[in-house]
Amino acid sequence: MDNLIISNIRQRPIRSLVSVIGVALGVALVMLFTGLAHGMSNDLQRRSQNVRAEIMFTRPGTMDNLTSSTLNLSTKYVERLQAVDGVEAAVPIGLYVFQGGAGFGFEQLEGVDWPVFSKMNNIQLEDGRAPEAADEVVIDYIKAHNENRKVGDPITLLGNKPYRIVGIFSPESGSRTKMTLSAMQDLLEAPGKCTYILVKAKEGVSEQALAERIDKELPGNKVQFTRDVFTSIESRIPFLGVFLKVLVGLAAVVSALVVMLAMYTTITERTREIGILKAMGASRGYIIGVIEKEAILISALGLVLGFAVAMLGGLLIHRRYNLIFEYSWSWAAAAAAIGLLGGAIGALYPAVRAANLDAVSALSYE
Amino acid sequence: MRTILQAENLEKVYRVGRVDVPALRGVSLEVQEGEFVAIMGPSGCGKSTLLHLMGGLLTPTSGRIIIDGEDLTAASDAKRTDIRRRKIGFVFQRFNLFPTLTAEGNLRLAESIHNRNGKDDPERRREVLRLLRLEDKMHHKPLELSGGEQQRVALARAVVTRPAIILADEPTGNLDTENSAIVLNMFQELNYRFNQTIVMITHNPEAAAMCKRIVQMRDGQIVEPAQNVRM
Repeated sequence: MDNLIISNIRQRPIRSLVSVIGVALGVALVMLFTGLAHGMSNDLQRRSQNVRAEIMFTRPGTMDNLTSSTLNLSTKYVERLQAVDGVEAAVPIGLYVFQGGAGFGFEQLEGVDWPVFSKMNNIQLEDGRAPEAADEVVIDYIKAHNENRKVGDPITLLGNKPYRIVGIFSPESGSRTKMTLSAMQDLLEAPGKCTYILVKAKEGVSEQALAERIDKELPGNKVQFTRDVFTSIESRIPFLGVFLKVLVGLAAVVSALVVMLAMYTTITERTREIGILKAMGASRGYIIGVIEKEAILISALGLVLGFAVAMLGGLLIHRRYNLIFEYSWSWAAAAAAIGLLGGAIGALYPAVRAANLDAVSALSYE
Repeated sequence: MRTILQAENLEKVYRVGRVDVPALRGVSLEVQEGEFVAIMGPSGCGKSTLLHLMGGLLTPTSGRIIIDGEDLTAASDAKRTDIRRRKIGFVFQRFNLFPTLTAEGNLRLAESIHNRNGKDDPERRREVLRLLRLEDKMHHKPLELSGGEQQRVALARAVVTRPAIILADEPTGNLDTENSAIVLNMFQELNYRFNQTIVMITHNPEAAAMCKRIVQMRDGQIVEPAQNVRM
């Protein structure tokens, strides 16, 4: 195409490519980080939706019931909780968090008394049976589908410990892999202990009132509402939102700097051509427009590449590490704005500088 | 006849460090519509400064320049650029084509700057190309053209937007004798066929001899009154 902007980009393919990659990196970073945060958060929320208990009872000092690996709560509290007026059921859960099989991210493993746990949360076994022996686990249908596993398959957990899948349950609820609580107690050498107890209120009983009653009757423990615990990761991890915004800002700065550098060297190289444009009567606006259009075209190419890298990267990371990426339109729009605006702003200074060049000096530039 | 260019008592002083260097010392010149004027003189006599002033690329220290009824010296930088866009075409010694564009692309660029609405005039383009015998070179980039062909493309670019005046700065300075003659003939053709007003700076007496009028400069002044070479 015989167009000044496109021909300029094609004239220096390596520099143009580096600029495009620079913009793409910023866009891909924004997409991957925000996609990961959303994906993991939404995944957690989806799984928590099927936890029917309203209250979570733990020992004080338990840092976070979703990432805790300690069994420090006596299961004797189950009986005492069941004795509290308004409690329909109390189910002990052991939670162990370990490094993911691919060495990246983490996985959760729950120890449960299957009959009471499944009854409380209305969980069904789609295939197989409940875990009984110490080396037996059940997994949810999502994990079975994603990892192409079925009943009878071996599975390695906690590093290199071999287990066997004996059942597949649905819907997803809490951790995707569950064993018996007694197996977990043996594993962690914590007999008679659990991480927390899920408490379900009787129908018509106020959960607020029940929580106050439990706190009064079993003082010194921590009584939380499950809706507060299983909220989004973004609101649970302090400053995650700020981190994401800083990341977005940095991506914008990187894009702007890359484009600015590329356009700055372009202007220096094309000083004489800018002089010719001026001699031909091109206004400042026209010259700024030419340079800005070139920068925006480079940014647009970077944007496309960045989205492609994010999609492909997310897919590959998901396959390798089982991390979940969910891209939102709002963040995609933000990434697009960053790529385009970053490029446009980055090119502004070189463009204005070019527009202000002295025509006679520019024409005699060697 | 209409006066296309009127320069009145032009003075231009360059500041070099702490020293004032006068380049023009009261130059007055009138160019009528359809004239083909050569400005001659030794190096450093102020020819190029005068051309740049007439083209609105420089502003004079004092004096006045009127191009086709518009006062360049009273105009702002933006206005001067606009006058240049509408009324002036430049041809340079070093051709100054855009190397990434084809010959046609260079012409289209000139048209896109001239016609802000983005419209071009293919008929005019064809006419100019035919006249300059460039029809078969339109899809060549400058590096694929000879010096003479490049200068003809530069001339086509200058004239395609129908400027009131063409200002040519040593247009044959980088060409051999044969190509110089071709390019000069093209200037003459344009002058004759389109009644195109042309002011050309040259060192070459043979080139100057092809003009209708020769203006001699020395030490920043016009030393000989306008001389009619031929009518």
